[in-house]
Amino acid sequence: MMKSRPLLLAAAGLVVLALFPVLIENPYYIHLVETISIYAILLFGLDIVVGYTGQVSLGHAGLFGIGAYSAGVVIMHFPDTPFVLVPIIAIAVTALFGAVLALPALRVTGPYLAMVTLAFGTIIQILINEMDFLTNGPMGITLSKPIVLGHEMSDREFFWVVAFLLVAALLVVNRILRSHLGRAFEALRGSPVASDCMGVSVYRYKVYAFVVSAGLAGLAGSLYSYSEQYISPNTYDFELTVLFLLAIIMGGRKTRSGALLGATIIVMLPKLLDDIVLFRYVAVIFAALVLIGAAIFVAKGRSTLQRVAVPVVGTVALAGVSFVLTNITDWRLAIFGLITLLVVYYLQDGIVGFVRSTLGLHGHGRTDAEAAALLPSPVDAVSTSVAATATPAMQDLVAADKVLMQFGGLKALNDVDLHVSRGTIHGLIGPNGSGKSTMMNVLTGIYVPTGGAIAFKGHSIVGKTSARIALAGIARTFQNVQLFGEMTALQNVLVGLHHTYRSNLLDVALHLPRYRREERAAMARAYALLEFVGLESLAGEEARNLPYGQQRLLEIARALALSPELLLLDEPAAGLTAPDIKELVVIIRKIREHGITLILIEHHMDVVMSVCDIVTVLDFGQKIAEGTPAAVQANPQVIKAYLGGELTAPTLPAAAAPQGGARIGSGSDPSSPGSLG
Amino acid sequence: MQILTQLVFSGIALGMIYAVIAFGYQLTFATSDTLNFGQGEALMLGALVGLTLVGMGVNYWLMIPIVCVFGAIQGAVVERIGVRPALKIKSEFGWIMSTIALGIIFRNVAENVWGRDMRPFPSPLPEAPLHFLGANVRPMEILVAVGAILMMAAVELFNRRTIWGKAVVATFNDREAARLMGINTSLVITFSYALSSISAALAGVLIAPLTLAGPNMAAQLGLKAFAVAIIGGLTSGMGIIVGGIILGVAEKLTGFYISTGYSDVPGLVLLLIVLAVRPAGLFGKATIKKV
Amino acid sequence: MLSITNLRAGYGKIEVLQGISLEVPKGQVVTLIGSNGAGKTTTMRAISGMIAPREGKVMLGDIDITGRESHRIARLGLAHSPEGRRVFATMTVNDNLLLGAFPRFTGARKKGDIAADVERAMEYFPRLKERRLQLAGTLSGGEQQMLAMARAMMMNPEVVLLDEPSMGLAPILVDEVFRIISRLRSEGVTMLLVEQFAAAALNVSDYGYVLENGRIAVHGPAATLKNDPAVRAAYLGGGH
Repeated sequence: MMKSRPLLLAAAGLVVLALFPVLIENPYYIHLVETISIYAILLFGLDIVVGYTGQVSLGHAGLFGIGAYSAGVVIMHFPDTPFVLVPIIAIAVTALFGAVLALPALRVTGPYLAMVTLAFGTIIQILINEMDFLTNGPMGITLSKPIVLGHEMSDREFFWVVAFLLVAALLVVNRILRSHLGRAFEALRGSPVASDCMGVSVYRYKVYAFVVSAGLAGLAGSLYSYSEQYISPNTYDFELTVLFLLAIIMGGRKTRSGALLGATIIVMLPKLLDDIVLFRYVAVIFAALVLIGAAIFVAKGRSTLQRVAVPVVGTVALAGVSFVLTNITDWRLAIFGLITLLVVYYLQDGIVGFVRSTLGLHGHGRTDAEAAALLPSPVDAVSTSVAATATPAMQDLVAADKVLMQFGGLKALNDVDLHVSRGTIHGLIGPNGSGKSTMMNVLTGIYVPTGGAIAFKGHSIVGKTSARIALAGIARTFQNVQLFGEMTALQNVLVGLHHTYRSNLLDVALHLPRYRREERAAMARAYALLEFVGLESLAGEEARNLPYGQQRLLEIARALALSPELLLLDEPAAGLTAPDIKELVVIIRKIREHGITLILIEHHMDVVMSVCDIVTVLDFGQKIAEGTPAAVQANPQVIKAYLGGELTAPTLPAAAAPQGGARIGSGSDPSSPGSLG
Repeated sequence: MQILTQLVFSGIALGMIYAVIAFGYQLTFATSDTLNFGQGEALMLGALVGLTLVGMGVNYWLMIPIVCVFGAIQGAVVERIGVRPALKIKSEFGWIMSTIALGIIFRNVAENVWGRDMRPFPSPLPEAPLHFLGANVRPMEILVAVGAILMMAAVELFNRRTIWGKAVVATFNDREAARLMGINTSLVITFSYALSSISAALAGVLIAPLTLAGPNMAAQLGLKAFAVAIIGGLTSGMGIIVGGIILGVAEKLTGFYISTGYSDVPGLVLLLIVLAVRPAGLFGKATIKKV
Repeated sequence: MLSITNLRAGYGKIEVLQGISLEVPKGQVVTLIGSNGAGKTTTMRAISGMIAPREGKVMLGDIDITGRESHRIARLGLAHSPEGRRVFATMTVNDNLLLGAFPRFTGARKKGDIAADVERAMEYFPRLKERRLQLAGTLSGGEQQMLAMARAMMMNPEVVLLDEPSMGLAPILVDEVFRIISRLRSEGVTMLLVEQFAAAALNVSDYGYVLENGRIAVHGPAATLKNDPAVRAAYLGGGH
């Protein structure tokens, strides 16, 4: 949580950086470290888009260029602008472009999004090159170092400015990414559908991610102008954007140290490639390291010969090739390409991630969970807004009338009425394809109904987005578990608590009291919710590592974090073992005791019968029966829908004597009623 | 008016090239939900290999099948190294980055083997322009348009008439069900990548006589062809021809009436607008979310 | 013809099948019934290679097909008409049938006269004959089911896996589907039928297995199984 450790480390880093230009006076090295720092600032931002929201952005060289040229254009046309304003202008302009870029990127993902960003970056480069009235076109812009109080900064003084901004950016970005905002970004990657249904609007946070990332690129770009003292359009090309991506992948995503390492690599690598003799030494040492490391791994059984074959052969071949060639600079791009290929398949978490997992280090997820356990518990973790907004006259929490959901020619829901009373557990059953899940998706805004009316607490929810419906008080779980896999159990629940935060970017960046209060309260409540479903001991575990049964319970805890009045459970018992199912039923009853209304889709009849007050049966998208569980179970139409045709024997307990069928029960004893599997 | 018609014809020829590359995207996307970010480099390699062959004295028409074979091998390599491992670990990020990486590697290799300069490509047809509707049309431009259409028609014919083509379409429809028919869908995917690179290589030798050939010729081609694929929708054949023509003509007109530097802009802006408004493309079909 | 021993299979972390064994003798129709989520479709998928079994063995005749890739299993003569039909929507009825015979084109199965067999399929399914050149995606649910079954028969299979043929069909069409299955049975087709509709399935089968929560709860000759109260208990819960 709010540890002072990052602050201490940052202060230490600042001191080291401040001493650097004093101890090492050579301007070449000062400029080198300065470039690394500038790239690192940009990479912090790129990591938000690539590492956290999980999208490939091929346009960050363009954003970098906008930042650089904002500074350049301002200086060129308004040379008297005070230095303090220039980076601020660059950040603002680039952030604006980031928002513009986000527009076409909103509804697309994957390769489409990559192409959108590539198109954007290409357009920017063209515009910078062509609009020479503004940018001086291919001739470029020359700048001096910033002038403060009538005095031009020396190399060393500017270095200190960059160092300070690097540390500041690192701190701010770290705080943002460790806060609810960072969790929202990660949720986008984990499961966009679940994000929306937990009240975290995918569209909105995508825009935020691009804007913040662009702002950082803008800052980096403006510093770059001053650092290089000359900028021209052809710098901000495809090669640079790929280099930035390579830095993130190689360094390690979702870590600040990864971004720093990545920046160092991409700056040093071309220098290394320029000096063939040095490169040979490094290549040989590197190949030796990989060979030894691979041997150790295989010997310890942590990897197989097959898997290490490619990296070993690749690095040895590279070392060999370096002795054959006299000039490796010409092959620079091919080497970048090869490194990218290797890293993408063999070093998926980057160097930092690899080191961490080898050394068994854990992220802050686990320590956060331990800290959360120590917080005082809230009065009622499963509180709802029932008390606040309940109007006694309103019996029907959900009133769906004549709902029609049509996909092309198929009527998934055909004229269905569903009225759910407050405080009940309402079951929704039916054979495969009867429309149960479609109903659930319609109620949560994933589908917009073709016809009919749906009212929640008296207000129509037709056409509202999933995020708004979630915030209005309807929460759900999913048939195919939609957890945020890379986040811990506690963090998953915290995403559900996103709505409890009112803090803005400034509160988070400066750790103002409002944010600290909200974070503490959310942590305590999240932990208490995990206790409610019995998962508190797994609070620090990554969700994807949890056993299946616990994953389903975690989804319930996360949904409860929305303080819903209505909870929709989609086949909560599917795939659960008998003891898990017993636990589930207990939890469902506890939820109802807290005043929450439930709609339950289930195939496990025993669960439905024992827990539901009223059951609605769908078949072919239509309601065929509704009533108490016992009534529905005996309803001949329901029996026909499920079993088809006529079964000859009645189901009297007295007819328990086997009528000839060979009964080799290799599982449950079917003659014991109520056995849950 | 004469100039306008001329620009339109040039634009159509250019657009057909985009359409052929976009066609390559459709082929791989249909069968594997992936595409080759280095498609432009495949075109460039085709053109340069063709140039070398023609330089060695091989007749242009004879050179074409050889270049196609080269393209097939190149495509299969991309699939094996870049795409198959990513499909196995179900990583979208994986094949995006690795096809980009392979594209970069190919470009660097080309720079070292053929040098960075752009070189003229001898035209197989006479240079004398024909007069058509009052404008000058170069015979090569007609060849480009005809060649592109022939290529796409050949693939269509293959898909409709042979059982192997039907197997490819089946894979596109439903990969799992195709396997249940005994179709080796892995092989189909490799084949579609080979075919995709063939179409790019062919596009390369068609367009090279009109422009210059060199490692940089493909700089924006892959991206603009993607714009065409988007405008046309990644599943519609007719769509990419229409999209290609729109883009090609828009580019030529912008290049002439505004400035050559800006000629790439309309296509890219159109891409952004289409994706912002209709993410499935103008001709594409929107998919239903399944939760 | 088809025998499964101690099969365990599932998806990701979920173990659905907890060790089931069943046999489909040559020339017989065996049915696997049970409620949703019991594991019927998972069983089919594990047999035809769509998912890899975790434990256990699947034998097609003398050949061990456990864990093989699904296209290889198909070429050995195992036809699977999957849940949801999954016809090739943008292709014609005729082309769908031709694709069903794909293993015969590659030489994995005896070639024979494919065109003649297509005609035979049309006779068997008159509805398809009328719609020969229609795109499969535009057919109704019932027609698609006919097509899926005809397609499966096109490779002259050793065994046919028929997964939930009645799903989503109106009752009249369900009757027609089961009439066809009955006819196939009388012609000696070896079939494993998975159905939610226990009654109809047992009526056309020789032998039945009831799957409950990933295990075989009961099995026996179809005629006697029909009267067993355990069957209804497996679907609607509790024997009370």
